[in-house]
Amino acid sequence: MSNRISDIMVCAMARLIKNENTVFHGVSSHMPMIATMLAKATHAPDAVHLNIPGGVDPQTPNLRHYTSAGSELTDSSIASMPLSQIFDLSMRGGLDVAFLSGVQFDNRGNVNASVIGDYNKPKVKMPGGAGSAVLIPTVKTAIIWRTKHDIRTFVKKVDFVTTKGNVKYIITPLCIFKMYEGELILDFIHPTSNIDEIAANTEFDIRYIDIKYTPLPTLAEMNILNQIDPNDYRNIEFK
Amino acid sequence: MKNKLMDISSAVEMINDGDTIGIGGNVLHRAPMALVREIARARKKGLHVIKTAGAMDVDLLCAANSVSSVSAGFVSYESEIGFCNFFRQAVQNGTVKGHEHACYTIISALRASAYGIPFMPVKGLQVSDLVDVNDYFTKIKDPFSDEQISVVKAIRPDVTIIHVQEADVYGNVKFYGPIYDDYTLVAASKKVVISAEKIVTFNIESKVDIPHLMVDAVVEVQNGAAPCSCATLYDIDISSIKAFRSANLEDYLNKYEKLDRRTVDNEQ
Repeated sequence: MSNRISDIMVCAMARLIKNENTVFHGVSSHMPMIATMLAKATHAPDAVHLNIPGGVDPQTPNLRHYTSAGSELTDSSIASMPLSQIFDLSMRGGLDVAFLSGVQFDNRGNVNASVIGDYNKPKVKMPGGAGSAVLIPTVKTAIIWRTKHDIRTFVKKVDFVTTKGNVKYIITPLCIFKMYEGELILDFIHPTSNIDEIAANTEFDIRYIDIKYTPLPTLAEMNILNQIDPNDYRNIEFK
Repeated sequence: MKNKLMDISSAVEMINDGDTIGIGGNVLHRAPMALVREIARARKKGLHVIKTAGAMDVDLLCAANSVSSVSAGFVSYESEIGFCNFFRQAVQNGTVKGHEHACYTIISALRASAYGIPFMPVKGLQVSDLVDVNDYFTKIKDPFSDEQISVVKAIRPDVTIIHVQEADVYGNVKFYGPIYDDYTLVAASKKVVISAEKIVTFNIESKVDIPHLMVDAVVEVQNGAAPCSCATLYDIDISSIKAFRSANLEDYLNKYEKLDRRTVDNEQ
């Protein structure tokens, strides 16, 4: 068992992957990369792991601390599929799950990964949405992870709509939101948090159907996580 | 086949101020850093930089005031090192225009040029402010179904720069590890400059990845991607990347000058 936030989030992400899903993650994505590998090592052995360098199902890659897009993902994979072809796959409806992020989210499912302030004279220029603007509308299930949960991140109205589409879940250090009839509702509360903390750190109103708690990572999950990620890169975003 | 081997300064002379420049590799992997540094040393101005996901390459050119716009899906060192501060500051103070794309719309825009057509329809982008605020995106009516579809304007780099593990003097190229979007860049560009770790002799067994007819200049630069990584040869040099972020740019460029220009004389 673990009640560390990064472990709770990675296990929650892994559990959302179903067997035989085709799954993609991008750059700056250690947590989803490790979650995808965890899912493949547990309940979803036939899921397909895709990534920026194009490694298809990398086997026991020697992960690196600074990247989730290097040759370690192609060195031990059956194929090196060009990134353009992975995007093409999503465009024609063949991608099941993509993990993406951003800086602002509202409860209508709008995602901002571009700017704070005006696009043409930004107060803060963000790195950009990478694949988000085309993947979120085309992938069947877009899963957002964000390691900050505060009122500047979960806002009533985003400054800029980089994209909107098939966001189904948002996983934060406090909880899991899900899209329900076009609205982001509270789905699971991590046992390390509570509804008051979530409400205080979310600008939009918290709505829910029933309150559930995120199951903590099991001993079996933790054992596999420690094999896949012996250097604890899944915790990088919390350092 | 024509011999296209030249020294790094001559290769960079193919780039004019105001040109559109495609850059190969992805984030901190196989970025053509020696060519990027030489562009900065040559004090090129007003460049329009094209890259799906950029990092130190884009940041260094912004630090050198060589850039007028950056068209990219993502510009950042990844999680550990953080934002590209020179790029970010330049966009925020208005000296560089940040043309935000999705990585795939860069690919689509390059494909349009590779296919010789003026624009490319792109799925996705149905709901995005990017379409409203940028003149390189718009929506048109599908002439066959009458449905709306987003389109991106073609991007045709004047010069694309790519670093590879092996090339020969004629411009035949072999990659090791991920190719990223390099082939699309090569096909879309007017001119292509290759820097290679090693100049080799290929034979018919080699089955190169890019044939010589696609390439205009070849430069030999050992460690030409450093301090970024080059698959099978070296990983990133994180201390050098961190040093760049705080050091004086001239000093930093000087430190690499000898290494970048250490071209081996090849007989014709």
